[in-house]
Amino acid sequence: MRRVLGGLAVLVGLALAIALGACGDDGGEAKTTGDEAPGGPPVRIGTKNFTEQYILGELYKQALESKGFNVKLKDDIGSSEITHQAMAGGALDMYPEYVDLLLSEVANVRVRPREPAAAYRAAKAFEERDGFTLLAQTPFNDANALAVKPAFARRHGLRSIADLRRLRRVTLAAPPEFRSRFEGIVGLEERYGLNNLKHLLQKIPRQYARLDAGRVDTARVSTTDGQLQKGSYVLLSDPKRVFATNHVAPVISRKTLKTHGAKLSAAINAVSSLLTTAAMQRMNAAVDLDGRTPREVAAEFLRENRPQS
Amino acid sequence: MLRHKLRTRITAKVVALSTAAALLLGTALVFLIVAVTSQRDAARTAFRSQEALAAGGQLENSVITIENGLRGYVASGLKRLLDPVNEALSTYEAEQRRLQALVAIDPVQQARVRELEESIEDYLGLWARPVIGLASTDPADARSQFLSNPAGRARVETMRSQFDALYARERSFIRSREDRAESRSAYAIGFGLGGLALVLAVAVGFTLYLRRSVVQPVLTVAEASGRLASGQLSTRVPAAREDELGDLARSFNSMADSLQHSQDELELSNAELKRSNEELEQFASVTSHDLQAPLTTISMYAELLERRHGAEDPQDGPALVDGIRHATTQARALIRDLLEYARAGRGRLSLEQVSIERVVGQALEALAGAIEQSGAVVEVGPLPVVRADRANLCRVFQNLIGNAIKFTGEGTPEVSIDAKPDDGLWCFSVRDNGIGMAPEQSKRIFEPFQRLHGEDDYPGTGIGLAVCERIISQHGGTIWVSSVSGVGSVFHFTLPAVEALRGDDRDADGDSETRAHAGRGAELR
Repeated sequence: MRRVLGGLAVLVGLALAIALGACGDDGGEAKTTGDEAPGGPPVRIGTKNFTEQYILGELYKQALESKGFNVKLKDDIGSSEITHQAMAGGALDMYPEYVDLLLSEVANVRVRPREPAAAYRAAKAFEERDGFTLLAQTPFNDANALAVKPAFARRHGLRSIADLRRLRRVTLAAPPEFRSRFEGIVGLEERYGLNNLKHLLQKIPRQYARLDAGRVDTARVSTTDGQLQKGSYVLLSDPKRVFATNHVAPVISRKTLKTHGAKLSAAINAVSSLLTTAAMQRMNAAVDLDGRTPREVAAEFLRENRPQS
Repeated sequence: MLRHKLRTRITAKVVALSTAAALLLGTALVFLIVAVTSQRDAARTAFRSQEALAAGGQLENSVITIENGLRGYVASGLKRLLDPVNEALSTYEAEQRRLQALVAIDPVQQARVRELEESIEDYLGLWARPVIGLASTDPADARSQFLSNPAGRARVETMRSQFDALYARERSFIRSREDRAESRSAYAIGFGLGGLALVLAVAVGFTLYLRRSVVQPVLTVAEASGRLASGQLSTRVPAAREDELGDLARSFNSMADSLQHSQDELELSNAELKRSNEELEQFASVTSHDLQAPLTTISMYAELLERRHGAEDPQDGPALVDGIRHATTQARALIRDLLEYARAGRGRLSLEQVSIERVVGQALEALAGAIEQSGAVVEVGPLPVVRADRANLCRVFQNLIGNAIKFTGEGTPEVSIDAKPDDGLWCFSVRDNGIGMAPEQSKRIFEPFQRLHGEDDYPGTGIGLAVCERIISQHGGTIWVSSVSGVGSVFHFTLPAVEALRGDDRDADGDSETRAHAGRGAELR
């Protein structure tokens, strides 16, 4: 009898254990963190869709974050036109822009001041009409240029863009917006009378590969491109100034500046002040040629240079 | 020790088994409740997930509408193609809120919806709206951007894969809840059936156990009680158990012990009584018999004395001898009656169907002389047939009718004899118009040698009514008198009706009272 009762007790216990086990809910799910981190509302930084912009975006983002700001980086938006529209639509708080490009393509100013300082003032005045402003411009400038292979230059005796007119047909690798820009086919036709250009759409920086492969005669490049460091390409001179100097200045909404105060602009200007042409070329090369990520490169630069705001 | 005792108690076992069965059933019940709850929960989850899927589909549809409208507008420049885009732009936020509410219980889905919302905001803010803006100022640039810039398409693809991940998790929710509900109901059914089978097994086992260890011992005790009741006082039951049944067995055994003890004592005192009774009877009959002889001798010598010396004193002699003779006759009558009284109620009754009318007839025949002498009128009513001893009953009627004639006053004696049934008995009455008696005397007259009158007024030894009382008692009846002094007496006595006096004619030796008890006992048994 005692054994029977003991057996029953074990059985009942087992049954209860299984029942309770089956009742228990499956484990908790991963918790998501809240999006309001310390540092106020996030500063939304946009970038256009090429390497230098990616690096600039990371530089500003990391510098601001190290000062305790909350930053959202919106990479790879598109051309200046699209990005500035996004800014105007309130989807962004700031993005790095090229001053002369801003004047010619966004403000539609075709006759641009020769002096960079004047161009900067004009661009800043334009932005301030729309509730934006420009922060300090960088030491480096990133002018557009047309590059050719040295052999090609030698063969056709090319020195300036005007020399291209001698060729019957010039194939050109450039991004899509190049077709409709003054700092593009519009200006080249207008100033140099180049109506022999055949435009091949090319996402930056694939134009170098095209050029190397001989698929195109010339390509639109930026003077800060890392590929230009080793003298593998010849830049054609631009005596009629289709391509402007193009220092970089962050376009920023004044509302954002008001929200975050002087500390924000100081941090951004401190980064901008460190960006020389050599530094920019080195960083572009690290990404485009060495295959490193913009984030690593920017972090390394900030580590080595320590912006003082 | 106490623990051990408790465990062996039947009560403890019953409680333990009931608790175990209740726990089993309770477990099965818990499973059922869990299964039902879980199924209901699964149904709710499935419904909510379906709603979430529908809401997600609506939102995705809005996004696709925007992208398609955008494409059409940029390609054609037709403003009207923006109408569906604007409509979608006005509804998508509400759709997002609805989706967010529907996935609110799952943090992962919530996070996914938040990511999706961010993607949609990026798509709209960084692509769709800028492209629309650009198209209004520079349609050619917008067109080329749309064609060459993969950003917009990448954003749409990102959203699409986010939607797909959202849907997949909701669908897996539905499936897993259904699976869980199913497995739980399978558990519940299994446990319910198992529990039922176990309870059944416990019940059957318990029944067998009860039969073996409870019912059987109880039956043993019941059987032993029967044997004890039928007189086997040595009956005992095994009493080794430690539980309630052990207590019962021990109580039974001690009851049997004390019964046997009482019985032994009773038998002992009975034997003693019987022996002293027999001695007394022996003494009485020996004494009566032995007294007859000297009395006879005294009468003989008195006769001789009269014959030889009667002439010597003719004046006093015969009178003296007469005195001696009269006294001895009286002494012999006394001894005869004494013997009769001693024998009455002792001898074996020979019971038979007796017609009382005949018995009364015999008694009247025996009294014929006295009746004729007194000129008495005897009236006999209809009388029944009863089971009785004919000779003894005749003696009763003879004594009663004789008394009625003897104790008479001035007028002619009138005697009437009747009988009427009374609750299983026959009640007989012998009525006279004699001298009667005082109420306080009516008890005493049934005692031996109790006389109300002097020997000279009414001759007799005073033993007749005592003999009647003994005989009626021996038959299981009673006798009494109701009388008014100077008016007359009625003697009543009862006899059991024929059916009532059944089956105990073999045991006529004991006194009437013992017999009556035995009779009742036999009937109860």
